Amino acid sequence: MAVAAAPTHGGGVADHIHPEPHSFIRRYIFSIDHKIIGIQYIVTAFLFMVMGGLLAELIRVQLMNHSGTFVKPDTFNELYSIHGSTMVWLVIIPLLTGGFGNFVFPLQIGARDVAFPWLNMLSFWIFPVAGLMLYSSFLMGAPVAGWTEYPPMSLLGGPGTSMWAAAIFLIGVSSTLTGINFLVTILKMRAPGMTFTRMPLFVWGQLATAPLLMIATTALGAALAALFIERQFGVPFFDPTRGGSPVLWQHMFWFYSHPAVYIMILPAFGMISEIFPTFARKPIFGYKMIAFSTVAIALLSFMVWAHHMFTSGMAPFLQLPFMILTMFIAIPTGIKIFSWVATLWGGKIHLTTSMMFAIGFIATFTFGGLTGVYLSAVPFDLHAHGTYFIVAHLHYVLVGGSLMAIFAGMYFWYPKMSGRIMNEFWGKVHFWLFFIGFNATFIPMHWLGLLGMPRRVAVYDPQFQFWNQFASISSFVMTAGILVFFINAIVSLRTGKKAGANPWGARTLEWQISSPPPYYNFKKVPAVLAAPYDFAEPLPYRGLEGELDPNVPAPVAAGH
Amino acid sequence: MAISVSQIPHGDPNVDQLYAETRDLRLNGFLLFMVSDLVLFSSIIFAYLYLRNSGQGWPPPGFSRLDVAFAAFNSVVLFGSGVTMHFALENWKHGNFIKFANWMVATIVLGAGFLSGQGYEYWTLYQKMHVSWSGSGIFGASFFTLTGMHGFHVFAGVIYLTVLLLQATNGKYTQHKHFGLTAGTLYWHFVDVIWVLLFSIFYLF
Ligand SMILES: [Cu+2]
Repeated sequence: MAVAAAPTHGGGVADHIHPEPHSFIRRYIFSIDHKIIGIQYIVTAFLFMVMGGLLAELIRVQLMNHSGTFVKPDTFNELYSIHGSTMVWLVIIPLLTGGFGNFVFPLQIGARDVAFPWLNMLSFWIFPVAGLMLYSSFLMGAPVAGWTEYPPMSLLGGPGTSMWAAAIFLIGVSSTLTGINFLVTILKMRAPGMTFTRMPLFVWGQLATAPLLMIATTALGAALAALFIERQFGVPFFDPTRGGSPVLWQHMFWFYSHPAVYIMILPAFGMISEIFPTFARKPIFGYKMIAFSTVAIALLSFMVWAHHMFTSGMAPFLQLPFMILTMFIAIPTGIKIFSWVATLWGGKIHLTTSMMFAIGFIATFTFGGLTGVYLSAVPFDLHAHGTYFIVAHLHYVLVGGSLMAIFAGMYFWYPKMSGRIMNEFWGKVHFWLFFIGFNATFIPMHWLGLLGMPRRVAVYDPQFQFWNQFASISSFVMTAGILVFFINAIVSLRTGKKAGANPWGARTLEWQISSPPPYYNFKKVPAVLAAPYDFAEPLPYRGLEGELDPNVPAPVAAGH
Repeated sequence: MAISVSQIPHGDPNVDQLYAETRDLRLNGFLLFMVSDLVLFSSIIFAYLYLRNSGQGWPPPGFSRLDVAFAAFNSVVLFGSGVTMHFALENWKHGNFIKFANWMVATIVLGAGFLSGQGYEYWTLYQKMHVSWSGSGIFGASFFTLTGMHGFHVFAGVIYLTVLLLQATNGKYTQHKHFGLTAGTLYWHFVDVIWVLLFSIFYLF
């Protein structure tokens, strides 16, 4: 049987086909299939989102009253520290890279899997273990210095702080491995004919993100290791009384965490760039500019980290370049936003739930981006630093930006993952509850911050109470929206409308094969003749004729 | 300017060319792994330089400078092992398997020699100058962390090279298919390069 189906194209490594997994364990638990691993990431990250969301609601309940006694102040510190760490490292990053990245981009480049499937499995399995480690820190006295864990506070925090450092370090290892894996896959395993300028924009997003995962995360790993060593073995790095420097931690932390902001947004940009042309039935406007600006943002992201440290004591001649470079980021970001609006302009817009989230994304993300430009200005930052204005800004970009895009992507790719479409009515209920609840929660925080309400406090000045209660009640509305989403996602698995191969009429490669795709992805690796977005033209692929034809046999697996 | 699909001739050069480029993925993956490892070292080196420049002069009061002569000798041992490793791989590529094995053994012995030299240096520092990892401020912290990380890489390398030698003698590789040996050589040179950096920042400047 070995000779049966010689690959039709040259047949390099990219054409290697794994044998079909038969046992339940190999198929769904320790799978090496990028699609299953992607879904595993998504499910796990959403479970952690339930945990992180629960912590957020506990925070909001405490803040209902200016001298709230719902939790002790120390517990409050633990709540927001673990909430932030969860949402950044266990929810948004895994969803966008390991989750959607794994599931979508290998299909979009016409590959049969990622470059290192076993490594991919390892990356995934580190993630839930690290997540459980992070939560186990509650049992031993969780970290209390916020998700940024600045020393000297983090040196004084409970024993759980070391556990926190170890957990985030492991997550970093997983991210680094994913970055290496994705980068090699995109550079080396594209289908024949898929030049860089023919790649879908989601692939561009992943291509720009992969080096950030690889490089920035490793730098964070060094900082975390140093913190761990200092706490456990008393080796001085950050303790100023022993010659160390707390500001050193801030440099090392933000050298990672600013690029991490783009790890959390570049793939989201890519998703939006797929959804808009599909539902506007128009070619994406400015394909090359969007691709170029993605890379420009990734490069700039390494040069701006110290804008988080304007109040930490930095030479004024250093503040200026960091301020100006930070403002530069608004240029490529603006290019994207104009390109998306131009894509919608004059298009035949199909207002699906996915499209509504994508349009909502533009509104909220632009708003969050603008407050980011305010904050890059040193004088303004000195005023707003450490206040609720920061909380408002970061939630606008991470929830209004990344999470909105993730929801848009869920409604968009769910049919490809499961073979069924999520209920549109409940999808729209989800959208409106979430959109209204989100804005009502976080808009008031802007003025609370400008009035001087500090972040990370369990009790506050009575004058801020009204808007805090307003935010808390709105956050329950937002949570209700997310609950609707979870129920919809589970129920639609059984009752959703059958999707067929291409329910949205999209043009990238993953929509040209059945839903869910078979384990080998493509019967025959297609040839790519152009970028996918020109709706006036026939599909720019050759060799896909047999994909949906049940009479064409599956390709034969090679090796092991 | 949209490209019309019908305009593209059947023998699109991009189609054929790209596919031919798809070669050994493992080598690319391994190179990227070394890039991230380099970032790991660079971050700690940055931390060291930052602390060193924010303090009260270097070495801090109460510490004398490190013993350059001995470290230089030890460096020569390590760089020598880089040279022997190079000869080992070259001989393998030319099919001289016996010579390959000899050069590999030399590399492993030199690597182990470097490690013993470093152990001796640690021991003298601890015994004679009472410099320790946690008890000597940022001086001990950065010196032992960085050289320790490097030493661990050398240690892992010695094990790795030994495994490679055993695999090679058991016929795992052929004259033309020897990814493991290539990776081992790259890794060993990488460890050398890191040592050049560490030697300059700790002993020379
Ligand atoms: Cu930043």
